[in-house]
Amino acid sequence: MNAAPLLRRIAGALIDCRLEAVLIGNAAAALHGAPVTTLDFDFLFRTTPTNMRKLKAFADRLQATILRPYYPASSLFRVVDEGGLQVDFMTTIHGVRSFAALRARAQRLELDGAELLVASLDDIIRSKRAAGRPRDKAVLPILEATRAEARAPRKSRP
Amino acid sequence: MPKPAPRANRGRKLAALKKESEAALRDQIRRLRDRPMAERTHFLRVRLPGGGSAL
Repeated sequence: MNAAPLLRRIAGALIDCRLEAVLIGNAAAALHGAPVTTLDFDFLFRTTPTNMRKLKAFADRLQATILRPYYPASSLFRVVDEGGLQVDFMTTIHGVRSFAALRARAQRLELDGAELLVASLDDIIRSKRAAGRPRDKAVLPILEATRAEARAPRKSRP
Repeated sequence: MPKPAPRANRGRKLAALKKESEAALRDQIRRLRDRPMAERTHFLRVRLPGGGSAL
């Protein structure tokens, strides 16, 4: 399924609510050109009282609800709607020391006037390697091949 | 009765398959990266009723 309409809605809502968050995970990797798929969008943000108010406004704007899954996930806020939208907001991820550093290395994606911050492929690989779950390990060779292609000098193709 | 192929053949075949599969992955990545970032958006799976998911 084409994620563009949902990404535009999410990016628009983030801007409207002035909530600063960086797209991470497989969605971000796919935007870098990795042939991977996902069911949801993952974001890293900072948990400040202001950001928590903004997150509530973000969910309202998308006519969605914020859930706190009951399993040992560190500070996960899941925004879901009845149409199947799932946006996960995390305050920490493995392998990434700070939100500021992640944001500084992120790439800006322009979507019909709305701008979205997409984590760098290096950071995505670092976080997946540090997380070490089987599903993270499974995509690592694909992400590393994508990074190798991104670093390779561009040749004209027939 | 035909003689079974030597084991070395199997190793060569597997290596060739691996190489081919790596080349296919590289080609897929190149095709995706040839597009602008805003067009690399066909990655979302949807949950299906009763379990599972589809692109």
